[in-house]
Amino acid sequence: MDLLPLFTWLDTSFLAEISKSYGGVFAVVQMFHLLAMAVLGGVVILGDLRLLGVLMTDIPTAKVLRPTYRAFDIALFALVLTGIFMSSAVAMKLFYNEMYWVKMIALLVGVLFVYAIRRPLLGNDPDTLRPISRTLIALSSLVTWFTVAASGRWIGFS
Amino acid sequence: MLNEWLLQLAQFFAALEWSIGLHESIYTYAWIETTHVLTLAVFLGMLFIIDLRMLGILFRDVSAADLAARLDKPMMLGFVVMVITGFVLYYAIPVRTTQSIWFRIKVVLLIAAGVNAWLFRRRMLASADTWANDLSPPPDIRRGALRSLIFWAGVVFTGRAIAYDWYDCHKPLSELMQWAAGCVNPADLG
Repeated sequence: MDLLPLFTWLDTSFLAEISKSYGGVFAVVQMFHLLAMAVLGGVVILGDLRLLGVLMTDIPTAKVLRPTYRAFDIALFALVLTGIFMSSAVAMKLFYNEMYWVKMIALLVGVLFVYAIRRPLLGNDPDTLRPISRTLIALSSLVTWFTVAASGRWIGFS
Repeated sequence: MLNEWLLQLAQFFAALEWSIGLHESIYTYAWIETTHVLTLAVFLGMLFIIDLRMLGILFRDVSAADLAARLDKPMMLGFVVMVITGFVLYYAIPVRTTQSIWFRIKVVLLIAAGVNAWLFRRRMLASADTWANDLSPPPDIRRGALRSLIFWAGVVFTGRAIAYDWYDCHKPLSELMQWAAGCVNPADLG
């Protein structure tokens, strides 16, 4: 699938006009991106550490995980929204940046993992799952989201 | 006087071999900055969860005091790593950072957030028995949580803004801004 036309369009879009012209607006959006990343990271770490039996072990897993789902959804939505705005400032540069694609693929894997594997597998009562399954789900989640965040930061260095 | 002293200290750091090495390294600096940003998820992530619980938005069916107590350790671990990597980042580029208005505001906000956290914690420990299981804690606790969110959002914004040169000393700045950013005339250093 050729995504170049999409990036070419983004590079000359209204969003790009704002993100390229107003550094202050870009920095504020970047702040919201980082805050959303902190919330998403926080709920992922909390949920996964609970699954690993490290944190909040005296509270049923379902009771810990359920509130994290909504926070995750909102944070992910904010991340994608602010991410599109930030991408518009350097759309063509990003298109040719390997690390950007590493992040995008990791993000896609992460989103599919959460909605198609993690949540359906954990179901209503994650405590009924075998410990090895819970451990594998938690470790896969941590590795995936670490890759998304780390590769995101490395876009700026590559 | 303070600006001159801070600049001299920064220049002392900048002349050290390790500082130069870090600044010129291809990967070490990048990894330290990556670690600094990633610990946001550990420290700020946990802090936001606690603050949002105190505001009655998240984890409403978990005791607020219990949640704060359980998340305290990972949060502090993230904080320690963030402070260490933050200092190393400063140490790698000390002069420009010292003369960054954003870095200075960030430090002020960090102090404000620290004082707020200390007061918040004291108030929480003193009164938690009476509201720990309430859906929404008392107004002063909620205000403390809101202040914490605002201070830390400010810390993140100013942290990001350090990278921009809008108010760097080589730009035409008003006298007040020059003082606030710590711009020092080299002749004044003696």
